[in-house]
Amino acid sequence: MAPLPIARSVPPAPARPKSQAPAPRLQQTSDNPSDRLDALLAWTLDYQRCTGAFIADDNGLTLAAHGISEAHVSLVGPLLSALVAVRVIPGIDANAGALWLGANSMMSWVEARNERGGFCLGTVGLEPLSSRSFDQLKEALELTVRGL
Amino acid sequence: MFDTKVLDLAVQDLRNILRDGLIATDVWERTAGLSLAGFNQQPVAVALFTRMTIDLETSLTDSNFPPLSRYFLIDMEGNHTVAVINHGPLLQGILVDNKRANLGILISVAIPRMLESVARSRPR
Repeated sequence: MAPLPIARSVPPAPARPKSQAPAPRLQQTSDNPSDRLDALLAWTLDYQRCTGAFIADDNGLTLAAHGISEAHVSLVGPLLSALVAVRVIPGIDANAGALWLGANSMMSWVEARNERGGFCLGTVGLEPLSSRSFDQLKEALELTVRGL
Repeated sequence: MFDTKVLDLAVQDLRNILRDGLIATDVWERTAGLSLAGFNQQPVAVALFTRMTIDLETSLTDSNFPPLSRYFLIDMEGNHTVAVINHGPLLQGILVDNKRANLGILISVAIPRMLESVARSRPR
């Protein structure tokens, strides 16, 4: 029997050195959606423990990404769809989480919505993000999508 | 009459969002083929995409399919992607270099903003 194929992830981008200090709040200085997305991605890569980051819509379509393939980002679509059923359960928010991708890669994500739909900010790294980091990402994503 | 100042601002907004990925765009009246706003406008494309849109809408109707909603996309050789947006009495073509413009931004940000802007330009 032939060996089963092994799913491989995109080689992680070189990790940027991260400061141990708390991440400063994201400042959005532009009204341009592309600038806002770029600023959010750069802030995430600079201040969160990750080797890659992405911003996607709730269909899994990539808006911006670094260190992760668009094919991997696309899993956000079915993932967020599946969570709709989870949120039916009273008291379950489920707008952030972590998913083991295999090959030493953990994806962490948060979701935020504006009047046009849902958006997702995610990171990939060796470990899931902390709950404090989730709060920071959520705040930064909400600030960013307000101007999209 | 549509407010062409609003349309011009919407085209400028589109250029800012898609940056050098935007090759051309045109907003035109579907019946007269009259262009109201654009960037690097292509008169041949206006005629072509009007015909394609009408043919597509007719084919969908004749096949008892749901009607065309907001837009359709065409993936072309040479890294070109066209989005044709249905604004009702107006149509819009957006030609992008899909290696430079992010399709996620086109679909999830640029097109929804364009739909809202063109709706604001309508006569009251």
